[in-house]
Amino acid sequence: MKYADFPLLGRRPFTEFSISGVLEPEPAELGEWTAARWVFERTSVPRERVEWWYHGASRLWFLVRRDTGSDTILAIEPARTGSRS
Amino acid sequence: MSLRLLKYAFIEDYAEPCWFNTPATLGESYDVIIIGAGGHGLACAHYLAHDHGINKVAVLDRSYLGGGNTGRNTTIIRSNYLTPEGVAFYDASLALFRDLSDALDTNIFYSERGHYTLAHNESTLRTARWRAEVNKHYGIDSEVVDAEEVARAVPGIDLACGGNHAVEGALYHAPGAVARHDAVAWGYARQASRAGVEIHQHTEVTDILVEGGRVTGVVTPRGTVRAGAVLSAVAGHTPSVLAMVGLNSPIEIFPLQACVTEPVKPWLDTIIVSGSLHLYVSQSARGEMVMGASLDPAELHSRRSSFEFVSGLADGMLDLFPGMAGLKVNRQWAGMADMTPDFAPVMGTTPVAGFYLDAGWGTWGFKATPISGKTMAATIANGRDDPLIRAFNLSRFDDFSLVGEKGAASIGH
Ligand SMILES: Cc1cc2nc3c(=O)[nH]c(=O)nc-3n(C[C@H](O)[C@H](O)[C@H](O)COP(=O)(O)OP(=O)(O)OC[C@H]3O[C@@H](n4cnc5c(N)ncnc54)[C@H](O)[C@@H]3O)c2cc1C
Repeated sequence: MKYADFPLLGRRPFTEFSISGVLEPEPAELGEWTAARWVFERTSVPRERVEWWYHGASRLWFLVRRDTGSDTILAIEPARTGSRS
Repeated sequence: MSLRLLKYAFIEDYAEPCWFNTPATLGESYDVIIIGAGGHGLACAHYLAHDHGINKVAVLDRSYLGGGNTGRNTTIIRSNYLTPEGVAFYDASLALFRDLSDALDTNIFYSERGHYTLAHNESTLRTARWRAEVNKHYGIDSEVVDAEEVARAVPGIDLACGGNHAVEGALYHAPGAVARHDAVAWGYARQASRAGVEIHQHTEVTDILVEGGRVTGVVTPRGTVRAGAVLSAVAGHTPSVLAMVGLNSPIEIFPLQACVTEPVKPWLDTIIVSGSLHLYVSQSARGEMVMGASLDPAELHSRRSSFEFVSGLADGMLDLFPGMAGLKVNRQWAGMADMTPDFAPVMGTTPVAGFYLDAGWGTWGFKATPISGKTMAATIANGRDDPLIRAFNLSRFDDFSLVGEKGAASIGH
């Protein structure tokens, strides 16, 4: 099982978290066409990206930088008010 | 068969001809280049030659033939889908599968087993009834059966399921089948090859050439190859190939894992799926129990397998089949599933002229191998989407006209 050190929580197994999407800037203007792209399009190539991780038991959200090619965690920080996608 | 084997014992040169030819050199140009020698790419090559007389075709694969999801799936074939488009498409695939051993002159071990989707609660049973009605409306053999019926058909099942989530009934689909996935890929490869198609393994496409909005060829470490039509049939590598022509899609790559136990005497002759327990199982012709579970929880471009997968699977499987507790798991593996938001494929023409897409096969594409090959070949030969796949075009995400098949997915996501 894979573990990582989470701020506020300590060492936790990944299975305790649900991963719900990528931190990405919202488009400045959302017309019908750009909205469709924003809703559906994904950049699913191996890369580093920042993801929203939710820890159910503590109800805490984290921003996790992960490499989706090698599955390595590069950085973890607690999400704060103002962190937004 | 045995006589043929005996004959080989007495001859010096092994006489079985190679299943497909691999020319030493890669040509400078072809009519059609197919990226990906999985079942889908090879089937398309076969039907291009067989149905349309187009045989100046090269199938290129970065690795070995059938080594992608084609050789990694659990081979379940069924057509009890939820949308009219899906039902018509998958049923046409089943019809081709039934005659495929003859058509390809290759025994694909097609074996109709019957397919039970167990319902452990009232809401799943409701979805089962809905699916059965949609299926029947389109002439598919599909019905809801009660728990006693399940007990009669499935030896060794614990209907109480460990006391936590009793089986209340099931959606039963009599035509549900399994087949040998390697045989499907090799059969298509052999027929395509006999018709003049070239198959080049270990030939990765690293870039695609587009001039004035039109595809003109591909780049490989073995040189640049020209073609007016290029098909991408690369499943788990689709986003990277789309990036080569500047296209985006909603496809996301998640690992899907499976495993087999040591072989045992035949005892389970149906296919069992439980959406609530997130697992499914069937017994292979060799006696192994072939098992799978949900998608991994996070996007990943790797085929690593995990202990969480087997332990989680065993947890639910032993609730359902306590008798399997003594079985050992022999092998486990993963494939990279190309998931779409509506659980339908992405097929056909694209905004780049001459560039065709066959993707979004996620966890469900093996059963579509024959019909996707046939419809993509027709699409390429005619330069426009075959009627059977029109609803699956990439443009549906711009038009918000999705094809919702999630309710018919076998496994948890
Ligand atoms: C564990 C598991 C279980 C499954 N179970 C079922 C099931 O029971 N029933 C079902 O219907 N479906 C199932 N599926 C889904 C099914 O396996 C796939 O949808 C189907 O096999 C896809 O076939 P394909 O030919 O499109 O892709 P693949 O077989 O993956 O072939 C794609 C090929 O493209 C090659 N390639 C990639 N990039 C490049 C490049 N740049 N240049 C050259 N070549 C490239 C790869 O090497 C690969 O050989 C399962 C999948 C998995 C992983």
